[in-house]
Amino acid sequence: MIPSMSAAVKVLPTPPPYFDSDLCVKCNICTAACPVAGATALFPGPKTVGPQIGRFWQPGQDAVDPATTWCSGCGVCSRVCPHGVPVAEMNIVSKAELRPGPRLALRDWGLSRPAEVARWMRPIRPLARFALQSPLLRGLADRLIGLARRAPLPVVAPRPLSRARADLLRREPPPRAAPSRPRVAFFHGCSTEDYEPWLGEMTIQVLQHLGVEVEIPPQVCCGLPLQSNHAFDAARRRARRNLDGLLPWAERGIPIVGTSTSCTLALKHEYRAVLGLAGAEVDSVSESTYDFFEYLEQVLLPGLPEIQLHSVPLHVLYHAPCQLRSHRIGSPALQVLRAIPDLRLEISRAECCGVAGTYGLKSERYQVAFDVGGELFAQARAAGVDRVVTDSETCRWWIEAHAHIPSIHPVELLAAALGLPDLRPVGAARP
Amino acid sequence: MRRSLLVIGAGLTGLFAAVVAARRGAAVRLITEGRGGLILSHGCIDIWRDGDLRFALGRLDRYHPLRVAGWAALEAAFAAFLEILHDVHLPYAGSLDRRWRLPTALGTTHITAAAPVSMTSGSLDDSKPIHIGHLSGLRDFSGALAAAGLRAQGIDVRGIIELGLPQGRSPRDLYPQEIAALFDDEGYRNEVASAWKPKMRGVHRLGLPAVLGRDRAVEAFAMLEADLGVDPFEIPTLPPSLPGLRIERALRRLAVEAGVDLIEGPSVRGEVDGRSAGKLVSGAVAATAGGPRVYRAQAVLLATGGALHGGWFSFPNGEVQEAVFGLPIETSQDREEWVAPTLYEEQPFARLGLRVDAQFRPCDRRGRPYFENLFAAGGLLGGSDRILEGSRQAIGLASAFSAVEAALS
Repeated sequence: MIPSMSAAVKVLPTPPPYFDSDLCVKCNICTAACPVAGATALFPGPKTVGPQIGRFWQPGQDAVDPATTWCSGCGVCSRVCPHGVPVAEMNIVSKAELRPGPRLALRDWGLSRPAEVARWMRPIRPLARFALQSPLLRGLADRLIGLARRAPLPVVAPRPLSRARADLLRREPPPRAAPSRPRVAFFHGCSTEDYEPWLGEMTIQVLQHLGVEVEIPPQVCCGLPLQSNHAFDAARRRARRNLDGLLPWAERGIPIVGTSTSCTLALKHEYRAVLGLAGAEVDSVSESTYDFFEYLEQVLLPGLPEIQLHSVPLHVLYHAPCQLRSHRIGSPALQVLRAIPDLRLEISRAECCGVAGTYGLKSERYQVAFDVGGELFAQARAAGVDRVVTDSETCRWWIEAHAHIPSIHPVELLAAALGLPDLRPVGAARP
Repeated sequence: MRRSLLVIGAGLTGLFAAVVAARRGAAVRLITEGRGGLILSHGCIDIWRDGDLRFALGRLDRYHPLRVAGWAALEAAFAAFLEILHDVHLPYAGSLDRRWRLPTALGTTHITAAAPVSMTSGSLDDSKPIHIGHLSGLRDFSGALAAAGLRAQGIDVRGIIELGLPQGRSPRDLYPQEIAALFDDEGYRNEVASAWKPKMRGVHRLGLPAVLGRDRAVEAFAMLEADLGVDPFEIPTLPPSLPGLRIERALRRLAVEAGVDLIEGPSVRGEVDGRSAGKLVSGAVAATAGGPRVYRAQAVLLATGGALHGGWFSFPNGEVQEAVFGLPIETSQDREEWVAPTLYEEQPFARLGLRVDAQFRPCDRRGRPYFENLFAAGGLLGGSDRILEGSRQAIGLASAFSAVEAALS
């Protein structure tokens, strides 16, 4: 039996809602950058509901501003703050105090458990596809449980990634005689595992093509959807299971790489900064985790001879998802895209596409989320691009549904430039 | 082989340096902990408040950034910046020798060399009478306050006009940037113009808070000017200040489109090249959401600003250090000597900052650079009192321009 390594992981008492308020000088840089405050006057802005009222908050006081529920959790405020105030983290913690009524609880329960939903949906896949695409049923779901009728929802794939690539599953990192070959542990996240396994297969092929040995460590959903839907304890249970599964790789200095920007952000940041997990184990996993293109930029490419990229004659708009920007690593995919011959590249001017994970899927938030994305949809349509390129799956589905332009992951362009076969299933938009 | 440059800081200095370097073909990466101070700025280009800078230059402290840069570099930097503003459709009026006297939101006078064309009709050297527009629903600008200040200095302010904003019912006051975004929309502007037009009888010049458009400010201003039949002019407001935000948004966009790798969020520490016997820096280590990541470059430019912006800090024992590489900043250990007895006089701490050599490399008191490939520009530099001199943008632009030139040669 493998002993639980995360037994040593401590949970710090949940940070009080307004920790670090005193660092704020009220400069309003976050307010000016907040996409939600720009879209609705119902949200007074991240500073107002966060550090500003935090100044007056006393421990034990029940003083969370109900307007905080409008925060989408996109994280722009923390990233643009020049004084190191964790504005978004502060607001996500206080937002968790404001639970919706029983009608919406069912919806939030489902939205926060994509892996479980996939398990139930798989045996009845044709039926599920019909239900998700039926205007009548979607209208009913909108009325009854508050699931926005126009929000795109993915259909489960027939076979999960872990079954398609069962050859790569490992309980722990196997010892190697020749450690000279680069190795990574692939953290697929539940969207790649259950909804877009072809993207995982493509990523694995790209890595293998570049000479990297790929292993799939034990893992479950990162827990971020639970965290975004008030279920901090359930999120912490998922986090502990992931830490147990990933720690052996992290301890051996093997990078943990993912293509889903919110899952990798959870491993890097949310476990520590929002869920309050603390200890050397969490730090070790956090510091070993890389976004796919960050791994290329920081670890793999500097050690490789120049790679031959083939022409990809497409006109695309690249949008760095808000969750990727919260990694605080810039947009490493852009550097690769710029190197692809004949790829005409436009760059998104929007802070966020609006959906912010599960926020835009909720009836009561849908319009605001749509308005947040308006700038991006308009830019993509005005530029007349063939594809929108963005790393996060929820952003891709959301942008494709609203800008009516096929939306792809940047790894698909890299695969095409490397001359690898297209693995997208028939019917999905292809590069 | 392309030269690589790492710029740290995204205020006016850092963004301008990044754009200039990228346009010269360098591989530029810009790292910033949060967004820079442009959003706090009036958006004008201050060069020198009193007297002729050309004659004053030779008499300045020898480490004054403008003396180090020299008149020719200032001219080149100013021209390059106006050209960039032109490219992003933010037309400015002015020259190094121009001295606009423009009204502030308090009704005091701001002296500047170049201003957005939307401000220049407010010139206090123009004798045409002024009306001030007070926008109901905008909390951050008081027409009465501005008018009282201007009248106190003898300006002919004929009246304050209450102007409504067609914004519907709102659960809270709107922020300047939200009103500005509304003005980007042509339909909204039409609505405003027809509501305001009847109140324009007898008005020659109309002062308005600077909220007339965000990304389409030029169109918004031109249309209001034509439709209202008066000379409107913008007065910068409290932060968020749109004239600064417009520059910030345009420069950030221009930088990314020019190929600058923009990394927002992490704090950084400098990295010294261990193989160079302490002569070179190799880049910086960024505290990203995951682990520390190293970003290397052939040259590093510090544009982190002064103490208020985190460029340097002091220890309780009076020691002062630059924030990224920990370079020493010389000053009296006795902190009592940093401040003048009263607020409104020359403050010794205002002149604190790095000393640089002729190539804008931080140097010791004998003028020897600490590192051969480390450069510094903007508010981080000492030897000047930017508030008293009215020289903030001159220093930012001239030092950024000179430092980029030195770093890429």
